[in-house]
Amino acid sequence: MMGRLHRCGRMLASTRLTLVGMVLLAVGAGLSYGNPVTTSVWVLVTPLGLLSLNLFAAILVQPRINRRGGLLMFHIGLLSIVVLAALGRLTYYEAHIELLSGESFDPANVIEPRQGPWHMGELDEVEFVQGPYTVEYGSALKRGPTRSYLALPDGSGGWREEVVGDDTPLVLKGYRFYTSFNKGFAPILSWTPTGGVPVTGSVHMPAYPLFEYKQDNSWTPPGGSEIKFWLRLDTGYTEESAWVLDGRQASGVLIVNSGEQRLELQLGDEVALAGGRLRYEALNSWLGYKIFYDPTLKWLFFAAILGVVGLARHYWSKFDALSAAASLDSASPTTEKVVNR
Amino acid sequence: MSEATELPWLWAGLSAYAVATILAFRGVVILAKTSAISPPVRSNERLLLLLLVSGVLLLAMALGVRWERLGHGPFINLYELLASQLFSLGLIFALVYWRVPALRTSAVVVMPLIWLLGSWVLMLEPSDSHFPPTYNNNWLWVHVGFGKVFLSFCLVAAGLAGIILLRGVPGLGRWFAHMSDAALDQMAWRFMMLALVFDSLMLIAGAVWAQDAWGRYWQWDALETSAFMTWLSIGAGIHARLSYKIPVRVGALVILAIFGLAFVTYFGTPYFSEAAHKGVV
Repeated sequence: MMGRLHRCGRMLASTRLTLVGMVLLAVGAGLSYGNPVTTSVWVLVTPLGLLSLNLFAAILVQPRINRRGGLLMFHIGLLSIVVLAALGRLTYYEAHIELLSGESFDPANVIEPRQGPWHMGELDEVEFVQGPYTVEYGSALKRGPTRSYLALPDGSGGWREEVVGDDTPLVLKGYRFYTSFNKGFAPILSWTPTGGVPVTGSVHMPAYPLFEYKQDNSWTPPGGSEIKFWLRLDTGYTEESAWVLDGRQASGVLIVNSGEQRLELQLGDEVALAGGRLRYEALNSWLGYKIFYDPTLKWLFFAAILGVVGLARHYWSKFDALSAAASLDSASPTTEKVVNR
Repeated sequence: MSEATELPWLWAGLSAYAVATILAFRGVVILAKTSAISPPVRSNERLLLLLLVSGVLLLAMALGVRWERLGHGPFINLYELLASQLFSLGLIFALVYWRVPALRTSAVVVMPLIWLLGSWVLMLEPSDSHFPPTYNNNWLWVHVGFGKVFLSFCLVAAGLAGIILLRGVPGLGRWFAHMSDAALDQMAWRFMMLALVFDSLMLIAGAVWAQDAWGRYWQWDALETSAFMTWLSIGAGIHARLSYKIPVRVGALVILAIFGLAFVTYFGTPYFSEAAHKGVV
């Protein structure tokens, strides 16, 4: 029985099987280029599963691996990476959100959330308030640093400020919030239905300055008909020289189209439309974030480093042995020509 | 400061490399005429090394002048990638050439390959590039640094593999008679193994940078896919060598194929995507 198991293990540990797995993985990687939605996750899972099995068996039964410390470390590192990456996909969380300046983060407002079946995060416990933000632009609209000012609970009933942006995410409860290039303006509007109670909300305009020429959107109020909005902005935007996008310095006229009516609203203006009254309360700005959660990140890093250290150690000992052999051989005149030149 | 100020340094550096290339061929011709390492061979090697180091220093000046003008390192467009690789490949090959005398004849393969990049860079417009905010990250340096060492070791291995193949060409064998196929093969794979270590480090540093810069450590963009294929091909090459007693010449072809893949990863990807990485904008 043990002999059969051992034979089975040796077959699974074969380096020829490794080669087959590697070829299949290369095919899977090629098919995964660009993350096409039509490509099944199995093109990667199948070869990775096969290689994991092969690696595991090799670690157990292959003396060339398990009796060499460095090589053993490398293969354990590789196996750990595959296992951790799989765990990461089972527990990950990804989403986007657009936050208005002054708005508190609310997980109910996330866009396109995706998560692994084992995700048990604490997004509900994440608390922060979006403050103002600035984005520096060079001439010809070359984007520079983004600075987003956030207010976070300081743990003693007060608030503390944190500045994030570009490659500095906000990290709370393991969730990483990355500012995205997506940001823009949002008029704050109040709608008072005829005979009803006023409600206040925002209409997010398309990304700015990417769609500087197309700042429009529409909204259908409860009990009313569709209203089309166009925002004529003054932000200091210019393509010729450097400028800073700062929502606090911007102003805008809101053009409202409802039925046959076309009206231009300044801040504080109110207008009667079919079904109620619309008031242009303020001009605010919004900033997009990418939310990412993967509890395996730091372990993946450690596993990868462990693997490389093991590989380096293995080659170091191997080359050292070869150098020693070469030195011993150097007494031979033919080798002298090669080694001692 | 005008753009043209960096170009004379570039041309001077490439000229030094060009003369070093000629000396590499002169060296093997002299070696073929003498049965041992004669004083003319040593003198030729010293001159070649001097020119190689001069080329590296001149290219460093070209990169420095451009860096000073633009305010950022050579990380963005193809011209910058090629120019910085000419510097790093030259630097690491000069170090190896100095420290490992046994592989000096491989300069007849390595130097023309470097010069291939040199003639390519001369055909490119040295246009200014924009440094994206996501590139302002220390891990970029680590990633690029390991990548340069990786490609350099790949190049050295390719040089040795090239010698193995050239030895089989009638009439050329005597140029490279100083080492056996087996010794060349062993040395070539040693460098390929070192390349695997640095390729792994490059991928790890790149993943950390990508996580910081774009909120994901792996996205299968053009460069990531190609770099992973290269890593896999080195691993497969090493396993194939272990599993099958592949003939030395086949092994040399495998090394050249891996180098070709690494070359495409570095210098072909800009043709597939607008920037080295998708998140550059």
